[in-house]
Amino acid sequence: MKIKSSLLAVSSCLLLNTVSNVAMADVNFNGFASIVGGVTTASGEQLYGYNDNIDFKKGSLFALQASSDLENGLGVTAQIIARGANDWDPKFEWAYLSYDATDNLRFLVGRQRAPFYMYSDFLDVSYAYPWITPPNGVYNLLFDSFDGIGILYSGQLGEFDTTTHFIYGKNDSAVSALGETITPDFKDFTGLSFSANREWLTLRAAYFQANMTMPFQFLQPLQNGWAQTGFTDISNDVVMNGDKGTFIELGMQIDYNDYILNAEYTNLTLDHTPFGDQKSYYVMVGKRIDNFLVHITYGKDDDSKNDFTASAPFGVAPTLDFLKASTQQIIASQKSDEKYLIVGLRWDFHDSAALKFEYTSFSDNLNNTNDANLFRVALVTVF
Amino acid sequence: MKYFTKTTLIFIMLFSSYSFAEIAIVVNASNKTTLSDNDIKRAFMGKLKKYSNGDKILVLNLKFGSVTRNEFDKKALKKSSSQIKAYWSKLVFSGKGKPPPELVSDKDVLALVSSDSNAIGYVDAENVDDTVRVVKRF
Repeated sequence: MKIKSSLLAVSSCLLLNTVSNVAMADVNFNGFASIVGGVTTASGEQLYGYNDNIDFKKGSLFALQASSDLENGLGVTAQIIARGANDWDPKFEWAYLSYDATDNLRFLVGRQRAPFYMYSDFLDVSYAYPWITPPNGVYNLLFDSFDGIGILYSGQLGEFDTTTHFIYGKNDSAVSALGETITPDFKDFTGLSFSANREWLTLRAAYFQANMTMPFQFLQPLQNGWAQTGFTDISNDVVMNGDKGTFIELGMQIDYNDYILNAEYTNLTLDHTPFGDQKSYYVMVGKRIDNFLVHITYGKDDDSKNDFTASAPFGVAPTLDFLKASTQQIIASQKSDEKYLIVGLRWDFHDSAALKFEYTSFSDNLNNTNDANLFRVALVTVF
Repeated sequence: MKYFTKTTLIFIMLFSSYSFAEIAIVVNASNKTTLSDNDIKRAFMGKLKKYSNGDKILVLNLKFGSVTRNEFDKKALKKSSSQIKAYWSKLVFSGKGKPPPELVSDKDVLALVSSDSNAIGYVDAENVDDTVRVVKRF
């Protein structure tokens, strides 16, 4: 984004030099930031980590990207993000070498973002999309980045410009979930995303799979218990240990004469694990009016889990009953039926910054004590 | 009535200053290729990388916030400059591409375009001189 002062100086005095000769060698710095304030509208309400005490830290982040073009199509890029949610502890979200084999073919090797969703690649760059953050109901996988290789191919299909993105790698970064901090192992993480764009229309589809292990301690007694009672299948199903997870995404964007329509559907399947299958979608419509964008989003989450304890009888032995009841409790906790409505306004008040307001009304059809309304305001920028 | 004519006049002046500033898309004088409106749009969005004769396209942009840039973004790319900035943010922060270099003035654009056979840029049509070839006016 920044103009290179060296380029400008040279371009105005040394006219014989081509830009490509001049533009090399030095390091480019870019960055982005979001300062987000959020508060729920009633006491006792909680949503996405916010409560009725106004908070400016959780959703805020600062990021700095350094990149440098080496010769012959080789480049190096690192992106560091400090998040308020992690006490501003800076972390490398991207750190990769890129190689442009041709104008249309780029290889990325290193730490990079998995292109799960339409907005994954620039998930934290709030300036690049309408909302403060993309809808939580859909954008809720446990990890965003991986270490490995990415291959990007840009082509044309009739009148459409296409991008095909293949990835392979792994992720074993610690995560906090269900009250524990664990070191998961997502192996053989493989995926493909494809998007096609023509003028006002963008279509996208993606598929990912991984061999997943998440060693939660609270599941260990159940695994042992089922194993001891001879129910090996249930014992295997009650933990996530080398199980295959699959993820499908479909997305579309229409941007026509200041009218916007965005929609995304995701389907996460976690067979032979105690974790729920998730089906989620959202639909957003918006209209641009001068420097303003008003938008409204409706989204729904449907999580289900089959009762994999069905083969174990009830009322035969107390140990078995206890195991079955405890496991079924976990299964029940994996089900959800949630919906939300987001009304938002984005105001591009400055060349490099936007102010966003968002009101989210969330309802949980299985437990209405989780219903909550959240108001957020954000100042977002790129530099 | 007098008030009405005055405000109408101001409106017309405001309006005309926007709609009559013509933008010229310029390439090197030796570059004889043709470019459709869509080619121009795709080139400046980083999607089209070669001219029809196979030569590499070197896109030159004007500084964000300049009047000519705003007009170009609106007329040729059919987007606001903020939308274009958001578009490039997506590519920059996801390792998918980088925006064209941004020059300060029409003079810089003309100087580079006249000296580099791969270059394409745009200037206020009034500033065009015979060192470059105009491929399109918006």
